[in-house]
Amino acid sequence: MAAGRARVILKTVKDISVQFCPFDSNVRSAREFLAAIGTEKARLTNSNCRIVADVKHDETEPVIAVTFNDGERLVMKAVNLTTREMLSFFNERCFAKDPQAQETASKKRQ
Amino acid sequence: MAALCGRALSCRGWFPPQQIVRHGSKAVTRHRKPMHILRQKLLAVTEYIPPKPAIPERCIKPRVQAIQEPTILEKLLQRDVEKTFKENKMVAVFQNNSITSEELRLLRHRLLKHDIRLKFFPNQILRSYLADTKYKNLLPLFIGHNIIIVCKEPKAKELLQAVRSTTQISLLGACIEDALFSRQGVVNYSRLPGMQIIRGEVVGGLTLLTSLTYQLLQTGPVRLTALLEHYLKQQNEAATGPTENLEQKETQGSQGS
Repeated sequence: MAAGRARVILKTVKDISVQFCPFDSNVRSAREFLAAIGTEKARLTNSNCRIVADVKHDETEPVIAVTFNDGERLVMKAVNLTTREMLSFFNERCFAKDPQAQETASKKRQ
Repeated sequence: MAALCGRALSCRGWFPPQQIVRHGSKAVTRHRKPMHILRQKLLAVTEYIPPKPAIPERCIKPRVQAIQEPTILEKLLQRDVEKTFKENKMVAVFQNNSITSEELRLLRHRLLKHDIRLKFFPNQILRSYLADTKYKNLLPLFIGHNIIIVCKEPKAKELLQAVRSTTQISLLGACIEDALFSRQGVVNYSRLPGMQIIRGEVVGGLTLLTSLTYQLLQTGPVRLTALLEHYLKQQNEAATGPTENLEQKETQGSQGS
């Protein structure tokens, strides 16, 4: 399952904060998302990107807040989302913001 | 007689195939005689076909999943898990976000200085063990990659200090001396003063009341003794006052004379 996920490129991301309460039963996707972006490969794509895991115990919903380089914020409420959905959406957003990746993709198409 | 018949026939020319009795085996042989084709056919046709029930069995019978015996490795790991939970007072669960082996080595070194050990177990075995014990509420923590950090003494402060510099692992929860803690709980636990200090405070608090009653009971007699002493002193002064005057007069008189 993990190997099938697309590569995570964090070039355009400034800050990722993952909040969850580990004793809840609905945090699986949040934790897996954190594990996916926390891999060595993903972290190497951008060493300036801060990944913060906020572990709380107040029965709030798990929330993932991403701050991009151009100031845009993406907030994902992970209660009813699967890891795959979140990752694909996140990758889409990153790709949309990254001009270099778009160029290489268009070159490949040509 | 049979041999003679055979020889006589073969001399006269070719006859249609006849049963050569000479080489034919008897009915009862020592080896298994191959069955005659006609007999085979007859037996095949007349085989017993048992009556089929109205509803086939496979629709009624509940599907029985064969209980797989745990493999030797699983048994070994289970024993290890049991031992870990029995011996160690402090068991903390961390989420492992792909920590590099270098960092892991450094972390292990830092923790071993305080005799804190890292343990890795498969989630399945942990779940199967913990479901029956008093650690049931730790079950939802074990999703994905985890590290269990154990210690015989509840050294929360040292643990937090060592882990502070490692970004790739995050504390989820802990079970310290049969009490479950969340991350905030562990942080608060580490800030508590040591056992000796707390014992001293408790003893002090308990004896405070008794010392107050003792003081109250003592105030009466103490005051009384103080007053009596003061009175005695006054009496002595009064007594010595006139005698001093007399002595002074005597000395003055002796000096004068």
